[in-house]
Amino acid sequence: MPKIIIDGQEIECRPGIPVLQAALEAGMDIPHYCYHPGLKIVASCRLCLMEMKMPHPKTKEMAWAPKLFPSCQTPAKDGMEVRFDSDAVRANVRHVMEYYLLNHPLDCPVCDKAGECYLQDYTEDHGSAASRMVDEKQKNPKKDIGPQTLLYSDRCVLCSRCVRFCDEISGTSELRVINRGSRGEIDVFPGRPLDNALQGNVVELCPVGALLDKEFLFRQRVWTLKTTKSISPVDSRGQSIYIDYNEEGIHRIRPRFNEKVNEWWISDEARFGWKHVHRDDRLNQPRVRGSDGLVPQRWEELPEFLRKRLADAAKQVSDSVAVVLSPMMSCEEAWLLAKAVRDVAPQAVLFHGFVPVVGEDRTFPKGFVVKAEKCPNRRGIETICEHLGGNTANWGDFLGMASSGKIKAAYVVGGYPNEWLTSEAVAAIGQVEFLVVQDLFPTALTEHAAVEIPSVSWTEREGMFMNCDGLLQEFERALNPLEGTKADGQFFFELAGNVGLFRAKKVREEMAAALPVFADVFIPQELPEHAH
Amino acid sequence: MRDEDVIVLEEPQLSAAERLYLPQILDGVKTTLRHTFSVKNRKQVVRQYPEDTRQGRGELRLANYRGVHRLNKDPDGRVACVACFMCSTACPAHCIHIEAGESPWPDREKYPVKFDIDELRCIYCGMCEEACPVDAIELTPNYELVGLTRAEMIFDKEKLLQVYEETKDVKPRKNPPVTDYGLTGGQSKDVAQPNVERKV
Ligand code: SF4
Ligand code: SF4
Ligand code: SF4
Ligand code: FES
Repeated sequence: MPKIIIDGQEIECRPGIPVLQAALEAGMDIPHYCYHPGLKIVASCRLCLMEMKMPHPKTKEMAWAPKLFPSCQTPAKDGMEVRFDSDAVRANVRHVMEYYLLNHPLDCPVCDKAGECYLQDYTEDHGSAASRMVDEKQKNPKKDIGPQTLLYSDRCVLCSRCVRFCDEISGTSELRVINRGSRGEIDVFPGRPLDNALQGNVVELCPVGALLDKEFLFRQRVWTLKTTKSISPVDSRGQSIYIDYNEEGIHRIRPRFNEKVNEWWISDEARFGWKHVHRDDRLNQPRVRGSDGLVPQRWEELPEFLRKRLADAAKQVSDSVAVVLSPMMSCEEAWLLAKAVRDVAPQAVLFHGFVPVVGEDRTFPKGFVVKAEKCPNRRGIETICEHLGGNTANWGDFLGMASSGKIKAAYVVGGYPNEWLTSEAVAAIGQVEFLVVQDLFPTALTEHAAVEIPSVSWTEREGMFMNCDGLLQEFERALNPLEGTKADGQFFFELAGNVGLFRAKKVREEMAAALPVFADVFIPQELPEHAH
Repeated sequence: MRDEDVIVLEEPQLSAAERLYLPQILDGVKTTLRHTFSVKNRKQVVRQYPEDTRQGRGELRLANYRGVHRLNKDPDGRVACVACFMCSTACPAHCIHIEAGESPWPDREKYPVKFDIDELRCIYCGMCEEACPVDAIELTPNYELVGLTRAEMIFDKEKLLQVYEETKDVKPRKNPPVTDYGLTGGQSKDVAQPNVERKV
């Protein structure tokens, strides 16, 4: 590990990284725009310049070189000495900031980036209070550059991060810098809008408010939002995300750094994959079939009722009870439900739920993968079924056994954001005498169901998912469950005969004691705000 | 449910003397009695409102009185607010609710589609006025705020603009704000250039 001296402080850093990265990792807030650890280095913004000690050409003595060096482009070498805390460096930052503000509009009150804008932050820390610009400002136009994204080129600082992202990460090269000097601006090629599966990342990548998401445009100011760490359920890789929400609901999803899965980026699918949470037709009360169809039932009476009915079914034919564990469930929920049913029907068969697959895996140039498997926890469900043993089988077997009438009672969990049942599946499941369906939305199974229980979306639950590579990751609750519903984990907790609050952490401890793989939850490194 | 969601509160322990509450009660009664039996106080305190208002000499200063809000209009008659949410952010009573949208005018970016102030919840501190970068929201000398229902006391954009019409003669809009670039709401058109929008 090389050791370098920054501002007189000895710092140990990872080999091969630039001095800027070493300083950022050591907790120093060094202003920078163009450098991003996930992109190629261009050293164009000139904010990160530093002073460095070099051998004097004549005396060969180590002395501060008279010129400044870009710290983002200088690799950290053992024994080197640099400084940011000097008059020359401070003067450079001040002057560069003044240049950036020459043409920058005074737009912060109406700019969606305000509050998380690095031009605001650096101006506050290093800029001057008044502008000395006497000429009229050069005003570059606002452009509609793609179906999801707007470009306010008057706010751009030309760091070219967005251009490099499209060149390197998405490999689609839609964006370019056109013109030069103060007329320089970002643009797309005629007839080729910014439209790829990762394009939303340029919005967070942009250090200022030049690239904005149309979806989030004008919706909220960022400081009114609360943030929760979560895992995206849209595909089996389990991309780490932040959910930004307030009392009105979710407003946007942003990428969260995860060195093992999605690094700094997320797919657009994950970014916009929350719309179903606020759909109007969500189920919001449990219903039980009476003589005249499904009638609302109180939550408190359900656990006892279900336990009794499932036990009755098991008494007739011992292995005629089925539990279908959906890959949309968290590990804790699947564990609790399987345990609860096995408690009253010990021979109950555990089935892996339906796994939605759309197209094929897509791999992007630098290795970002968008998975075809569109569910977060297939591996987790399989691991739990394997551990609990007894009778287990997959979704296909379930349909087969159901249509042949072998299954008398079934607890089927859905929770998919989209329509998931084929008509054959509905016909087969319809054969089950006592069918319990737990889902987000009304489906074709409603008319066959003896009991219909509302499920809640992942943003209203907590737990962990095991991704396609066997990595166990936890997610937290953002919203409260929709009125009238109950978090799935809480209901299964009560179904298992417990009283009190369901705490995912407590269940996790119990699971870890039984099965060591569940003790190994991966928590990605958290990046400080100054290391953007 | 996260650990930090659970708050454990302890009831403060009161001593035997504190639990009597007698000294506090007597203190209050003393003030009431003093006002009841003092003729001078009664003359000063009791007013035959609304015939007798407090606008005489040395009394209510209406010039800087903080009454009902208004939303100012720019010289073109459009709402001057740019929907920046600064007022609702500054508001300690959380009584301002704004919904922003893209403005229909070429020289402006954002404007309030909805702008509701709950006048019952407001504490008339004037923070919103201070926070506004374009001096669009102001408190007026109008203190006669009455209504028969709660819903009536939630003033929407139209109502707030109407208050401006009613009070602009008593209290004109402040000096043109310092910001420019389309934010002035048409006050300095020489600086504000229309946004050129281009589709691909
Ligand atoms: S980009 Fe930053 S500095 Fe510029 S208007 Fe937006 S918030 Fe303000
Ligand atoms: S649009 Fe944003 S990311 Fe792209 S060059 Fe301009 S400032 Fe940088
Ligand atoms: S602070 Fe002023 S401009 Fe901003 S939302 Fe409030 S009234 Fe409108
Ligand atoms: S020049 Fe180093 S970060 Fe831009």
